[in-house]
Amino acid sequence: MSHRPYGHVLIRRPRFSFLVHRRSAVVASVLAVLLAAVFLLGLCVGVRFIPPGDVLRVLFGADESIVVETLRLPRTTVGLLVGLAFGIAGALIQTVARNPLASPDVIGVSHGAAAAVVFGLVFGFGGPTATPLTAIAGGSVAAFLVYVLAWRRGLNAQRFVLIGVGISVALAAVTNLLLTKADITLAQQAKVWMSGSLNGRGWSQGEPLTWVLLALVPAIVWAARAARSAGFDDDTAIALGVRLGRIRLGLVVVGVLLASVATGAAGPVDFVALVAPQVARRLARTPQVPLVCSALLGALIVVSADIGARMLISNAELPVGVLTAAVGGPYLLWMLTRSRAGGAS
Amino acid sequence: MTTHRLAARDLTLGYEDRIVVRDLDLEVPAGRVTVVVGPNACGKSTLLRSLGRLLKPVSGSVLLDGAALRDLPTREIARRIGVLPQSPVPPEGITVADLVARGRQPYQRWWQQWSDEDEDVVADAMRRTDVVELADRYVDELSGGQRQRVWIAMALAQGTGILLLDEPTTFLDIAHQVEVLDLVRELNVTRERTVVAVLHDLNQACRYADHLIAMRDGSIVAQGAPAEIVTADLVRDVFGLACVVIPCPVTGAPMVVPGQPREAG
Ligand SMILES: Nc1ncnc2c1ncn2[C@@H]1O[C@H](COP(=O)(O)OP(=O)(O)O)[C@@H](O)[C@H]1O
Ligand SMILES: [Mg+2]
Repeated sequence: MSHRPYGHVLIRRPRFSFLVHRRSAVVASVLAVLLAAVFLLGLCVGVRFIPPGDVLRVLFGADESIVVETLRLPRTTVGLLVGLAFGIAGALIQTVARNPLASPDVIGVSHGAAAAVVFGLVFGFGGPTATPLTAIAGGSVAAFLVYVLAWRRGLNAQRFVLIGVGISVALAAVTNLLLTKADITLAQQAKVWMSGSLNGRGWSQGEPLTWVLLALVPAIVWAARAARSAGFDDDTAIALGVRLGRIRLGLVVVGVLLASVATGAAGPVDFVALVAPQVARRLARTPQVPLVCSALLGALIVVSADIGARMLISNAELPVGVLTAAVGGPYLLWMLTRSRAGGAS
Repeated sequence: MTTHRLAARDLTLGYEDRIVVRDLDLEVPAGRVTVVVGPNACGKSTLLRSLGRLLKPVSGSVLLDGAALRDLPTREIARRIGVLPQSPVPPEGITVADLVARGRQPYQRWWQQWSDEDEDVVADAMRRTDVVELADRYVDELSGGQRQRVWIAMALAQGTGILLLDEPTTFLDIAHQVEVLDLVRELNVTRERTVVAVLHDLNQACRYADHLIAMRDGSIVAQGAPAEIVTADLVRDVFGLACVVIPCPVTGAPMVVPGQPREAG
């Protein structure tokens, strides 16, 4: 009988060896196929349906199509990237907080980013390059506030979530205040952004998001393995030679950056970061959230929700955030009612 | 297994504003089993945690082979000192074999996640602690005693020359208590491991310790071979218990028999 970790396949070459969780790999493959299909569908649907065959021909270089290339492709790509980012961000922050409720959209990161972006829009520095930066600044400040306020000889998961929710509410109030002060057209623009919309998102949002994601790839690869140890108590982790404090900080920083830029690009698309990690974990049946599955599932949710947003009502578009909230809200309630005394489940 | 030397110099330990251990000096006998006893809250866990760099000293230092622990990389320490804390928390939803395998963490790298040695050591640790049949069970669903053996297996898988165990026999029935302590002895004899264990049961302490440390209020009251230091006076001093000390009929080690029980009714 084998004593290698349960359910893992060993991939070994002379210089390296990797353990791959079999079920996670299967789930990730299935999600990737689904995602590709939904992505393609996202290019097909809109005011006018374009058959998949035509879309593929456009993608692979044949005749130009304005609709696919300048509107739907960038928009769907932004949706995909935003979903990936939220899926990873949620997984990392939930892991560190040891609480399935502690996702960036619940604990104030997204709201911090949103408040900063609205501030930027209202005071006239809301350009495509400035927005990701203001979003990161806002998200980081919010996360820092929550961290400092929740810290009392270690991080108490329950206090962390409660303080995060408090900060979220406060930041939402700040955002509303900014909106009432703002010029009416700006406010209207900001409001659409606030509800999380992919309508009109293009390469100018996609590009900074892509760069940030690419820059974070090494950090994400590191996080995927480092997150394994975050489930131990401090003493046991240190005994195993893991610098838990550093790992926690690293995971939170990566998570906050991802959630913030994603919010900057698409607005606070609520509940994706909350739902994706936990569903991915249940699908893959792993002790910690499987990062790749969570990322793919996040992308799948956002791209599908965006298609739904385009199709549900005939002559207008719903913001994608409304759809994710419609699914995520009940999920959150369900989580809250079944969690033991509001603590970590 | 190479033997390592662990010592404490002028060690003062505490939490926030309160000091628990003051100016303690200690030389852990290399290649021996040392057992720490003392009443509740006297600072046994606090001392053990600092010996395993889980708690930073307020002042003074813990020396591993002459070097202060605070100057060594924690991963390096993890290859020489294994610690089983008093109440460890496993990652949620982890299986037994996974948890034991985590003991190999200090030897693994991102690109080097599993070696033949990992496999052998984990298998050996699971066999010795009798948890092979539990391999695919979830740790959350085990009984206290089973879980304790799994934790010990994880500490063994770490393959360290020094093992620090905080009450490794709590939750175990008497047969498993003896089994674990026999295992500790065996590791010590066949592999020259240095063991420091906190034990609750004085008689077990006398039975398994080469070196006994009796603590009270954060200081060492007496230390030495059990046969030399355990007397009725010491037990009264340390635990405030009236007792008789007789030789154990099996091992000849000192055996503590508490004084007259209160009459029933
Ligand atoms: N994390 C902690 N924070 C504050 N005080 C603590 C902590 N751990 C232990 N103590 C205190 O330190 C003293 C010694 O505790 P401990 O070393 O756990 O005792 P023992 O293991 O001998 O029962 C106790 O008074 C306890 O309340
Ligand atoms: Mg203790």
